[in-house]
Parts: sequence; structure tokens; C-alpha cells
Amino acid sequence: MAGWLDPHDSVAVTLTVNGAPRKVRVPPRRTLADALRDAGFTSVRLGCEHGVCGSCTILLDGAAVRSCLMLAVQGQGHTIETVESLTDGDELSTLQQAFDDNDALQCGFCTPGFLMLIEGLLRSEPEAGRDRILEVVSSNLCRCTGAVPVFQAALNALAANRDDP
Amino acid sequence: MSAPGGGLIGSPAPRRKNRELLTGEGTYVADIRLEGQVYARVVRSPSAHARLLGVDTSEALRVGGVVAVITADDIDDIRIPIRLPFAESPEANAVLQAPLAADVVRYVGEPVAVVVADDPYVAEDAAELVSIDLDELEPVLDPANSTESSQPLVHESFGSNTIGRLAYRYGDIDAAFARADVVVRRRLRVHRLAAAPMETRGLAADYDPGSGVLTVWGGAKVKHFTRALLSRVLGLELTDVRVIEVEVGGGFGTRGEPYPEDILIPLLARRLERPVQWIEDRWEHMVATNHAREQEHDFELAAGADGRMLGFRVRGWCDHGAYVRTQGLLPVVLPMVHLPGPYEWPAFSMDLDAVLTNRTPVGTYRGPGMTEATFVRERMVDILAAELEMEPADLRRRNLIPAESMPFSFMPGPGSGAVMPIMYQGGDFVTAFDQMLDGAGYDRMRVEQRQARADGQHAGVGIAAYIEFAAVGPFEEVEVIGGAGNVVVRAGVGSLGQGVETALAQIAAELLDVPLSGVTVEFHDTAEVPQGFGSFASRSTVLAGNAIAAAVDEMKAKAAPLLGCGPGDVEFRDGTATAPGDRSVGLGDIGPTRGRFEKEGLTASFGGAVCSVSVNPADGRARVDRFALAHDVGRAVNPRLLRGQLAGAAAQGIGGALFEEVAYDEHGQPLSVTFADYMMPTAAELPDVEVTIIEHGSGSNPLGIKGGGEAGMVGSLGAVANGVADAVGDGAEVLTSSVSSARLWHALHRPRRA
Repeated sequence: MAGWLDPHDSVAVTLTVNGAPRKVRVPPRRTLADALRDAGFTSVRLGCEHGVCGSCTILLDGAAVRSCLMLAVQGQGHTIETVESLTDGDELSTLQQAFDDNDALQCGFCTPGFLMLIEGLLRSEPEAGRDRILEVVSSNLCRCTGAVPVFQAALNALAANRDDP
Repeated sequence: MSAPGGGLIGSPAPRRKNRELLTGEGTYVADIRLEGQVYARVVRSPSAHARLLGVDTSEALRVGGVVAVITADDIDDIRIPIRLPFAESPEANAVLQAPLAADVVRYVGEPVAVVVADDPYVAEDAAELVSIDLDELEPVLDPANSTESSQPLVHESFGSNTIGRLAYRYGDIDAAFARADVVVRRRLRVHRLAAAPMETRGLAADYDPGSGVLTVWGGAKVKHFTRALLSRVLGLELTDVRVIEVEVGGGFGTRGEPYPEDILIPLLARRLERPVQWIEDRWEHMVATNHAREQEHDFELAAGADGRMLGFRVRGWCDHGAYVRTQGLLPVVLPMVHLPGPYEWPAFSMDLDAVLTNRTPVGTYRGPGMTEATFVRERMVDILAAELEMEPADLRRRNLIPAESMPFSFMPGPGSGAVMPIMYQGGDFVTAFDQMLDGAGYDRMRVEQRQARADGQHAGVGIAAYIEFAAVGPFEEVEVIGGAGNVVVRAGVGSLGQGVETALAQIAAELLDVPLSGVTVEFHDTAEVPQGFGSFASRSTVLAGNAIAAAVDEMKAKAAPLLGCGPGDVEFRDGTATAPGDRSVGLGDIGPTRGRFEKEGLTASFGGAVCSVSVNPADGRARVDRFALAHDVGRAVNPRLLRGQLAGAAAQGIGGALFEEVAYDEHGQPLSVTFADYMMPTAAELPDVEVTIIEHGSGSNPLGIKGGGEAGMVGSLGAVANGVADAVGDGAEVLTSSVSSARLWHALHRPRRA
């Protein structure tokens, strides 16, 4: 049965998360989000498991993706970043600080997903204007703040990044 | 005061825990991993109403990795009780839910069996193999005609789909209508909504046969009630049940009530003597977790030609879904006490039925009852304003209860049932109403509306004013333990993401004159926190805050003999208790003290919302361009956190008006079971909510605080509906709280009556 795995078999996958390679054994149907959570990256949160809420957003080769919509085996060979990578020692990143300053979090469940979503934007489109930033921020859901404070935090973080890249 | 804790109450202190949440370190219930844990999956009814002829678990049990499958036959015949004595009745107690359905299933999503496996994916596989034999029955789906004799019965043995009828009479209602110049009548409908926190529910439970202790993680909100319930139904000593709160991804009234799973998962952990984890998925959440708000009201409003509102009659049907859950009759009790609102009615007459339908049970969702009642009343006030051709703000101001009439009560008159009397302790509604309009820039809003209309746009302005009853008792108790450089406060309320631990720390730091960083607030573990009633009804800061004040008084009494002075002479300064003449003792030498704050009745506060709305008639889409709210919190402990609560609640409400609806088809199948069909707003659809905080003190407690966590929601449905109605004018009549693009488009394009 060339190429097909039984659902109960597991396969070895190397996931490069936050700069360090990790070998995991996963059944082929295990989502990337679940595999990351099982590997201890519990900042990857599951709010809907079908790609709408964005709480599980990570960076894959620098681009923001929903990790609930990928299989762990698809992560092989790619560079994965989660919110754990943002902090430099004790220092919050400019983006994290902007969330704090703008009251862009309450319960904190959606926060890592939003941070990675906007981190992706910061890196790929540092010159993004207001409309583009709003378009990107509206990809994810925040039930506590309504996400307008998240948009404000994103605006401030992108502006700060332009002033002091 | 220049000392460390001075002025902390009322300061915008930064929220605790932000750092942990920003770095992804917070532990939510799904993050818990216990040695040897297994995973539960609930098998749910696919039918809205059917006889349950049998459940075949044999195939599921054959799946490798499956540890257990249980059905109703495997557990005791128990019902999940009502948590609040004032929301109970014999009728309500007759239709409580069992953890697993036995003979009849009554809504899509009702638990029928639980599968436990060593892997969550395998548990889901096996759950698919549990075969449920059903004999379909007709479902009851419309609250307003659920009581008609042609309708099937949701609970055959109970014999009726009405589980309560509340009557409230005030003044001479017939005389009021007899002298009216104008009467407006409408049937208004409040649509079904879900709180939909970003984190679904979940539990982890572990039973240690050695010590006999059952530990449950994930129960927030009413930990002590859950502990007592588990102790009773599982036959364990109270002290052998620990309920531990972990980080919570939003509560909004729905999370943390004891649901069927809150019995089943601990029961399985005990039976299997293995840790069991259950994490609700989003589809389950949309059918299993309490829904809210759905009701219909026939409302008649009588007024004089001068705009004086003389009285109202309302006949309403408040849906409770298929069972009464822990919140009892609140879905009918709360709309009733909030329907009169802030106006000086000479008379009214209310008859509200609590009814059953074959849909997910209804409970409280942020601003419960008051949001529905405010929509109904405020929509009618605008309909009256249009009839009288009066300015809606002027009509409201003319009818507000004047400050000189405070305290004010609508005492129930002859013909009333056993109802909670409606009483307002104080406040200045007229001043607060004008503060709201000024804060919103109401006059400018109207000017801009005229300009937009001149440009051919459908622009509207909507107002809603309300009374919120909050801060319910009966009590809250805290323990304050002083030490060198650190004060620990143990409280029985819950943290649901609202920041209560920050507010309580501010109160303790100010009263004890210690730096904010020197106060730790603990509330996570029922083994450590003596007692508590929980976090709901915007009560946590009011009740626990005042209990802290009581504990601090007790500390003074205990310090006095150590200092050789009277308690009145003790002052806290810089982390010590001091007496005149420079004597002092450290807080740690006083010993732990307890404080208890008991509170009768509810605290009423005034608030309102104003919004400007534009509607695109081509696609029916309404947009809330501005939303400004005002709320009287008595005294803001932390205005920054309070703004976040008020604005966040308003955002949820705006989403509820414009996009969200839990819909069902004609067979009782839910149509809103994912975030693709239960559509919540994003930053792109929401305005930056403007907040005016009003601080008209409260005499109901020493700290003068009123509730604030829910208030931003209360005016939202009413204000948005009124704004939309104003925008579309004669084009469509707005009679439902949902003003989604689909509804509006159909209303705008309906063939017009001649």
C-alpha cells in the first residue's frame, strides 16, 4: 500500500519550533496545532478548530497561518514560531508592550494568536497602512475587547517599528 | 494621603497577569496534563425531540484504546439543581436536567453517553460508533405558541410547556389606558444569542483513592456551589472535593455553572480512578452551553399627547429551552424586574410566562434579562416618539424618575404574584441621562445625521436608557493575612478575565496602606478559600471588596489591644497598624482576619447608550459608526479596567444586534454551530466604543460601589435597533432585536401594504 498510512500508525516528524528542532511521533491525522500543544507549546490555543477564530495562529516560515488547518506532518521542514519566541529574556517585545498599553487583552485566550498574526504583518509588510492593518487584524476574533483595542495596539506597534526598526 | 497605598481606589492601575498572558504562559484547562490521563467525548442527541429506545455501546467499546462508555443506565438518577433559591419553583424543579438522557431526548446536543479513551481522537472515533435508537417526536420550537394545546409536550409527565407565570401589577392600569391620548401596540421579539467565549468549556478531574480526594480543574464562577454539588451526588465529604480555577478564556455568565459534564467527568474520574479530561469543541459548545435571550412580548404603551407615559401592559413568553438549569427561572424573572426601567410609570401590568421548547436550555448571558427588557421597552418608547412626533431624547427625559423622588419603588399591587419588588435606592437619572447625551455629543450626532441624509444616506441615531440590577448577595467572605511586605487576600469570587484580582488588590492596598505590589489575591482553590458565592451579576468587586473592608475593620479590632488603644484609634500606615504616640505593630503580628459582607436585594444603577448607524439599503447592512455609553458605577475602583469591561460588553452587544443569531430549522436542528454561521464581529465591524463613567455613589455598601462588568451590554440591542429604525424610517419596521443584513434586506424589500 504505497504511501498510505493506517490512521493509527504514527510517523516521526521534526518540527523546528522557535529555532530548535523537535522530533515528535504523531498519527498522520494529528493537526499541527495539537502536535504543538502536545509538545508543550500550549500558547497555541484552539477556539474553533476550523480556521475562523485564529487563536491558533503561528508563523510558518514567517507567514501567519492557522495551525488547526494543517497536519503536523505538513510541518516537516518548515520553520515554526509561536508566541514563546517573541520575548527577549524578560523584555516584552514592542508588540506585546503595545497590547499591554492599549488594553488589548482581557481573558488572554486569543492573545497569542493575535500577537503572531500581527507579528507576521510587522515582518512582511512593515509599511502597511491603516486599512491593511485593519484588514489583517479582522482575521481573528476577540470576544472580550471586540478587538478594536487590538487594532490600536497593532497601529502603534507598526508605527513604533517604522520609527525604530 | 501620601503613603504607599493612598489613592489606589479609583486609580487606573495596570491589570495583573497581563505579562503572563502576553507571553503565552497562562494555563487554561486544556493545557492541564496529568499522569495517565484519559479523554472523554460526549455522545449527544442528534434529534430535537425523540423517545430514546436504546443506546448500543458495544461497537464503541471494541475500539482499541477505549476505556469506558457510560449511559444513563450506568449512573444514579440525579437532577442538576437550581443554584439560586429565588429562581426556584416547584414547577421549575420538575423539569431539571439529568446528566445523561434516559427515556426522551429533548434538544439537539443533549448528552446521551460518554466515551473515554486514552487519546482524544480515538474517543471521538468511538463516540461516532455509539448507536442511538430514536423514535422521533414532534418538537416544540416557537416560545409564543408553545403553550397552545395543539403543541406536543416537552416534558410529558409535567403536563404543560409553561413552567411559571409571573404577574406584576402596579397602579391602576385600566385608568391609565382610559385616559390615554395615544396607545401604541407591537409584538417584539428578542432573538436567541450565545455568549460564545473564545475558550470553550472544559474540565479535568482526578480522584486519589489513597486520600479519597477528588480534584476538579476548570470550574470557575461558582466553585463552592459546584464543590457542594459534587460532594452530594458523588457521596464524598465536602472537604474531599477540591475545585480549582485555572485561567479562563471568557465567562460572560455561561461558563462555570454546573452543567451535565461537570457531574459526568468527575464521576468518571472517580469510577475509573484515572484523571479524565474533557474539552468541549466548538460545535458542542453551540448546542451544549446555555443559550440566552430568546423571548417575545406583546407590548402596549399608553401616553398623553404631551408625551407623558401613563402605563404599559406586557404579555411575554420567555424561552427556557428544554430544561431548567442551575439558573432556574432567571430567564423570566430578570426581564420582569427590568421592564419598567428608569421611567415614572403611574401604572403597569406585566404577565410573563416561562416556557419550554425543544432547544438548548437558556441561561444568563452578560446583562441577562435587562438587555432583553431594555430592547423591548426602549423600542416601544421610540415607536411612541414617532407616533407623537417627539424627539426621542426629550420624550425620555420628560418621563425619567426625578432625583427628588428617590428612593423610589414600584411596589407590587393586588393581582401580583410572588415577585421581587422593584426598588431604586437612589441616583439622579435626569442628570445622568444628560451626562450620557453630552458625553456622546448627541446634538452633534443629530446634525451629522441630517447632513448624511441630505447626502442621500440612510443615517439614524438610536438611544436606550436602562436600569441595571446587579451586585446580588447574599454574602461574600474573605480572609486577609498580613505579613512582612506582603498581604494575602483570599476570596471566593472567580476571575473570568475581567480583572477582579486587580480591583480587589487595589482596595486592600489602599485600606491597609501598602503598595499594590505587596498584595496577593488568591481565589483559585476551594481548599484554600473558605467560602464564596461566585462571580456573576456584576457582584465580585462589590461583595468581595466590601468584605475586604470588613476584614480590615476586624484587623483594627485585633490590633487595638496589642497597641493599647481603641479600634477607632488604629490607623494603617506604611504596612503597619499604628496608634497615637507612635506605637505600631506589623500586619503580620495581627494574625489572619476574616471579613464578611452580607447584602440584601439588588443594587440598581442607571445607564444608557447612544449610537449613530448607517444602513445600506442595497444589501441591508447596518453599520454602527459610533457607540457611546454611560453607566453609573457608584464609584469606579479602576476606571481603566472598567472602561475595558463596558466597551467589551458593548462590542458583544453590537455583534448580537448586527450579526449573531442562534437559529434553528423547522425540525429543531441548530443552524448556528460553527463560527462560520454564528458570526461574531471583528475590529473591522466595530466602532471604538466611547465610555462615560458616572459615579453617583451607592448607599448599599460602605465602599459605595455598584456593578459594572455587564452594563455595557444592557443598552446595546435597544440602541442599535432604534438607530436602525431611525435610519430606515418608513422603509421597514424594526420589531426584532436582530437587525442583521438578511433581516433588514427582507424587511426593506417586502412588498408594501397599501
